[in-house]
Amino acid sequence: MAELLITPSQTIGPFFKEGMELPQGGTLFPDSAPGRRVRVSGVVTDGQGKAVSDALIEFWQPDAAGRFGGPRPGSSAGFGRVLTGKDGRYSISTILPGAVPAADGKTQAPHILVVIFARGLLRQLVTRIYFEGEASNAADPALARCGARAPTLVAKRDGADAYAWNISLQGTNETVFFEA
Amino acid sequence: MKLRKIPVGAHPNLLHPPYASTNERAPRQPAVAIEPAAAELSGPRFDRTLLFPNHDDMTRQTGNMPLGERIIVAGRVLDENGDPLPDTLVELWQCNASGRYHHEADQHDAPLDPNFRGFGRVMTDAKGRYRFTTVKPGAYPWRNHPNAWRPAHIHFSVFGQTMLERLITQMYFPGDPLLGYDPIFNSVPTDRARERMIAHFDLEETRPEFALGYHFDIVLRGPEATPENR
Repeated sequence: MAELLITPSQTIGPFFKEGMELPQGGTLFPDSAPGRRVRVSGVVTDGQGKAVSDALIEFWQPDAAGRFGGPRPGSSAGFGRVLTGKDGRYSISTILPGAVPAADGKTQAPHILVVIFARGLLRQLVTRIYFEGEASNAADPALARCGARAPTLVAKRDGADAYAWNISLQGTNETVFFEA
Repeated sequence: MKLRKIPVGAHPNLLHPPYASTNERAPRQPAVAIEPAAAELSGPRFDRTLLFPNHDDMTRQTGNMPLGERIIVAGRVLDENGDPLPDTLVELWQCNASGRYHHEADQHDAPLDPNFRGFGRVMTDAKGRYRFTTVKPGAYPWRNHPNAWRPAHIHFSVFGQTMLERLITQMYFPGDPLLGYDPIFNSVPTDRARERMIAHFDLEETRPEFALGYHFDIVLRGPEATPENR
């Protein structure tokens, strides 16, 4: 059986802007999608606490019913891509994801998969957004692996239909990044 | 589905001090290992409505030819088992022949080319093949260390079937004397793995009286081979 060496990752660098813009931007589902619409926003900072103004962040999640690709699988519904601004901030508009069980049937809390690319990152960082106040967080197997750092993955309520979630690439409050 | 583990040394380490920007941006904590779940093992599907006009020809985006050496780049997107990945989105961007990006942050004192924007999108066909036409990108200086120059490269962003396969990389050109000095290229730890990022000159892809051809295959993580799925 052929076994090929995988192509190594390289940094996205600082010069990707126009070519990497997608029509949906940071709107993961159209307005018509059922579910509770929320905004998630925050800031990306480096190890010095400085804003990371040239990151590209991708988001992937199921719809409110727990379906990937939405009601019509094989689409890009539930996917979003944003570029951070000069102030390092990003913002997405989405619906709260439905819960999807783990491969072994255990409960997973609702979450959004997040992939981060930036100058200075030689490969992508992978993390997840969970939601404050969600009872099933306590039973989530990935959160359980994070120990005392688990709160870095939990978006905080920030008004009626908004959550705040920051990404700290390095330092005292460093966000948990996963390998899977 | 279970994906093969990423072999040690296949990708760069996040912290690679010769590439200065990693010092403030690479996480210091080790990644936390988790079992991939539904979100990691699925991914968006894109269709051809995403493709720009002349999406596969960066020399025909304004109506006038850009300056520089026209080239064709073609190859396949495969997984580790050698299986082709059809209908996969490949996004491309690069600087112009003078070594300048069409981007506000690029302040290199080399001319912009009004006829070259330098980005494209292609989708692989049923056999995992892609092809595009462009001009050969120039080398350019950067401020990583004294007299630092990036070797000529084209950026590739590839989706694959699942979010775990997601890859952004750079394609380099054979025989480039700058490769040995480049901390980004050399962040990949082994010769064998670095060679995977270098295109090959390809006479088959070369079009007479038109452009040199280069071949560049992209290999993504693939499913673990088991008796059931092989």
